[in-house]
Amino acid sequence: MNYIVLVKQVPDIRNIPDEAWDWEKGTLKRGLLENVLNELDKQALVFTFKMREQHGGRVVALTMGPPFAEEVLRYALSVGADDAVLLTDRKLGGADTAATAYPLAQAISKIEQELFHGDREYVIVSGMQSVDGDTAQVPPQIAEELSMVHIAYATAFSFNNGQLRVDRITRKGSETIAPDNYPCMVTVTQWTEPSFPSFHRTRWAQSQEIYQWSADDIQSDESQIGLAGSRTAVVKIFSPKEVSKKTCVFENDVDKLIGMLRESYENKLESTEKDEQPKYHLPEGREPDYQGEIWVFAEQEGGEINPATFELLGKATELAGQLNEKTAAVLVGHNIKDLPQKLISYGADRVYVIDDELLKDFLPLPYSKAVSELIGEYAPQMMLFSATPLGRELAPRVAYRTKSGLTADCTGLDIIDTKRGRQEYTGILQQTRPALGGNIMAAIITQNSTVQMSTARPGVMRALEPDDQRKGEIIEHKPEITSSDLGAHIISSTLRQMTSEIKDAGAIVCAGAGCKTKDNFEKYILPLADSLGRFLGEEAMVGASRAAVELGFTDRSHQIGQTGQTVKPRVYIAAGVSGAVQHLTGMQNSDIIIAINKDSKAPIFKVSDYGLVGNLEEIIPQLIAALDRSGN
Amino acid sequence: MNDTNQTDVLFIGAGPASLAGAIKLKQLLNEKKRSESVVVIEKAEKLGQHSLSGAVFEADVLDELIPGWKEREDEFVTQTLANRVEKDETVFLLGQNSSLKLPEFLVPAYLRHKGDYAISLSQMVNWLAEIARGTGVEIYTGFAAKEILTEDGSVTGVKLGEKGRNKEGEEQVNYLPGETVKAGVTVLGEGSLGLLTEDLVKRFNLGNGRNPQVHSLGVKEIIRLPDNNNFGSNRVIHTMGFPNKLLTPDIFGGGTLYSMGQNTVAVALILALDWRYCDLDPQRELQAFKSHSLVKNLIADGDVIAYGAKTLPEGGYYSLPEPVTNGAVIIGDSAGFTSVRKLKGLHYAIKSGMLAAEAIFQAIEKQDFSRQTLKLYPELLENSFIMRDLKAGRNYRQVFTRAGRTGLYLGAPLSLVQQWLPARLSTRPDHEGTTRARLERQPDGQIDRLTAVSLSGTAHREEEPSHITFSDPGRCARCYQDYGCHPCESFCPGEVYKFEDNELMLSPSNCLHCQTCRVKCPHQVIMWEVPEGGDGPKYKLM
Repeated sequence: MNYIVLVKQVPDIRNIPDEAWDWEKGTLKRGLLENVLNELDKQALVFTFKMREQHGGRVVALTMGPPFAEEVLRYALSVGADDAVLLTDRKLGGADTAATAYPLAQAISKIEQELFHGDREYVIVSGMQSVDGDTAQVPPQIAEELSMVHIAYATAFSFNNGQLRVDRITRKGSETIAPDNYPCMVTVTQWTEPSFPSFHRTRWAQSQEIYQWSADDIQSDESQIGLAGSRTAVVKIFSPKEVSKKTCVFENDVDKLIGMLRESYENKLESTEKDEQPKYHLPEGREPDYQGEIWVFAEQEGGEINPATFELLGKATELAGQLNEKTAAVLVGHNIKDLPQKLISYGADRVYVIDDELLKDFLPLPYSKAVSELIGEYAPQMMLFSATPLGRELAPRVAYRTKSGLTADCTGLDIIDTKRGRQEYTGILQQTRPALGGNIMAAIITQNSTVQMSTARPGVMRALEPDDQRKGEIIEHKPEITSSDLGAHIISSTLRQMTSEIKDAGAIVCAGAGCKTKDNFEKYILPLADSLGRFLGEEAMVGASRAAVELGFTDRSHQIGQTGQTVKPRVYIAAGVSGAVQHLTGMQNSDIIIAINKDSKAPIFKVSDYGLVGNLEEIIPQLIAALDRSGN
Repeated sequence: MNDTNQTDVLFIGAGPASLAGAIKLKQLLNEKKRSESVVVIEKAEKLGQHSLSGAVFEADVLDELIPGWKEREDEFVTQTLANRVEKDETVFLLGQNSSLKLPEFLVPAYLRHKGDYAISLSQMVNWLAEIARGTGVEIYTGFAAKEILTEDGSVTGVKLGEKGRNKEGEEQVNYLPGETVKAGVTVLGEGSLGLLTEDLVKRFNLGNGRNPQVHSLGVKEIIRLPDNNNFGSNRVIHTMGFPNKLLTPDIFGGGTLYSMGQNTVAVALILALDWRYCDLDPQRELQAFKSHSLVKNLIADGDVIAYGAKTLPEGGYYSLPEPVTNGAVIIGDSAGFTSVRKLKGLHYAIKSGMLAAEAIFQAIEKQDFSRQTLKLYPELLENSFIMRDLKAGRNYRQVFTRAGRTGLYLGAPLSLVQQWLPARLSTRPDHEGTTRARLERQPDGQIDRLTAVSLSGTAHREEEPSHITFSDPGRCARCYQDYGCHPCESFCPGEVYKFEDNELMLSPSNCLHCQTCRVKCPHQVIMWEVPEGGDGPKYKLM
């Protein structure tokens, strides 16, 4: 067995120097950022080396980028890769994910021929996503181009009688899955300690030749690479940072403070709703560029619809209203008779049902085949997926197969008219998404495409109130799928209560070093989070500053700040956190910030809305009591 | 042990001394068509990240190393040539609001800088490394040397630091043991306070009868000014006085402001580490310096974009160790080649590397790496401008320290005649200077120390064992008794040390690798080791 590891050089978004910001344009000067190897690709390397340990073979590292991307290949060699291939050509620049996936697929075929001498027993491994684009689209699109199975969110592997099995995370837990054929694609999301390059291996790596291939070397079709091959285009980039400076209101009367908190919390909820009021009207006498229904992929597992689907239906209904089109849902699975009416009650005018025994469990190959068929037949103008694990695996393949542009993880979807160069666009979908780790926002449109496609972040759009009386049309579609289309089979799956991640929390109580001891942490911080959660009616999680983690209050997955998680909850309480800039970068975009600190000059107050000055041991019990009083 | 771990000549630390030495040596080898390997290892993750200097550079030495360098089209060269010093001022800062410019004829020759170049050492290191690679030098970053290896009284290479232990000291899955790198000649160009150098000096008795080395600490910011600024270009300013007290001076040092091109100015404060104030925070002193009316006006509307700190050896001539032994030589700041009068060492670093290269080349030709052959290096040093300058300032720092209690007015005139003093004036270790005296400088709303630390980019793998430990933690309480405070809380420019209710809270991840703590800890209990290679500051403009 052989292996190809896809690696990517990315800007170091954990360490963005201030001077790299162009505040006027709201853009980042990429030249001033350090370049590093994408962290998950390091994990992919470790994952692959472990496979090689057990099953032997040769590891080839592959990247596409400017000549200096050679650096990440040298790293791959220094930690254990046997060969390295750099795909570099000006013609390949400016590519979106489809125009990146295509040449990489071509390069993979060339590696198969020339380095593996036609041996097709190999696995392609890559990090689940890169920190800069964060789309997770390139690997599934390569897999689509090469008609191979893609196993995403892999955390571990085993060999059973020489047969590869991969453990992966699903939305409901985990499963073990085995590819039916080689080659196959595995994308990794595990976290272990990355390998350190040794001196002797580094010195060896430095002396190795790296294969350098151009667009011609891989015999690429010019219409599928670079700008010409891209189906999405960035309209503008802007800064998500709010310019408004906060002034901290100091209030040690806890009841008054809770009153103010309640008021601003409700204001925040209202103002996000207001932002989403429809604004677009089609100009008189103009036809929109794309026509047809607005589709939503209805995500279901085990007969239960993911609530994120209802949010998308709400959004789709709003967009369809602006364009005078219909909203439709696409439902795929087996024995799902009860579900169409539910989708209709949440706003679908039509539901396309693809029911087949082979589609009982989600597998990317047959699902993308079936959905693509449906698109071919009914020609929608837009298709929205949830940016859930399933959506992010399926959408890239469907988009690639139907020659459609896809934008990942959108937080805003609007209909606009715009101009790019001489090209005028009417009534098209503007897709807004964070990039570079949330440091910038990009507005993107779809071009040269059959359908405008997006995956949208769950929890951002709003579902409509369901109406059980609502009527809609149900259209059944029989897919042309055989068992040889499956590509992989699920060996076992486990349901598991997923623990929420702190970066998605709606409310956080964060402990700093000022909390002093683990006893205090347990006595004050945990109960405060409980009371805050009850008060707000949403889960409040516990976080910690780096110093607090170092004092052992909690583990590193709860660490907030530059070297931990970046969070943006609706309410953030910082208890005993002084507010070093390293911490602030991880939390200052939270909606409402309350700081408790004994030093009234602590920098944390500069980013806070409300401040309490004094000892935690005195203030927190009062605060808990006030929250509990007010909650009841 | 692996073949790829064998080198002919191994330079420790990719600073100006090592890179110049490696270039020179490879040039000599290439001329004779010899192919001995010349390898440089560096603990920083990338080149130049641990390099910090003033720096106003006397560039003549480059003509010798890289003939025709001024004609090269490298970005560093064009930038350097554009930063030639045209306006050179020396100013006394009297209190916070007044200043007195020293007329040029009163400025001693060694303090004049016209015709020198303001440079960033980080950038120079990257440039030198490129040239070095062009000649065939191998450079590897992210590797920290931890131990000198010897066999039969001769240095045979180094052991690299291990990687991948957790906080408890246990081996993680990715544990990488420390490798051995062998060399015919090991060249120590570690910079100021090199730990291997100290060990070598001790083990081979190279410091016998010398004064203890003393140090200054430099704290530096790069400030970006608006296009229309008061500072201008091609200008350097050296200051004496504020924030130090002029009438009862007890800190030897001064401030610098250099224009660096592209509307940036390097602002630095250099303070002799024997300062007596137990609560002196050098980063805060730098903020105080910036609050002087003259400085404030010059850097108005500027944004601080980078911060760093580094020590420099100041013992001068009488503190120099014997820089050679069997199989090893010491170059640059590691050897103590800094002119305390000029507060410059860069051109000495480069020159000393080149002279060492000549001696090593001869040793390679003879295939004899003993002290006997390598001692050509100190002989060449003796006849170079390095020793000439250092001898000329041999009692310079001492007269300031000695006179410190009575005042600069005694120190300054004495400094002009110090080389005529018949005897060698001794030094004492810097930490002995600390007293109960307090400066009580108030923060003034400029950047705080942790913000500054973030501008240094410093980072350490947070799971690794602390590279800072205490030989006798109980003695920290003694500091509190002796001084009424913990001086380490203040003297560390990286805010590594904090006490909450007398309980030490260590943040080794903030460390800037300056090692001030090791020099300045009053009870000498702080032990600083080199952390995993790749850790530490990420200077780009220093």
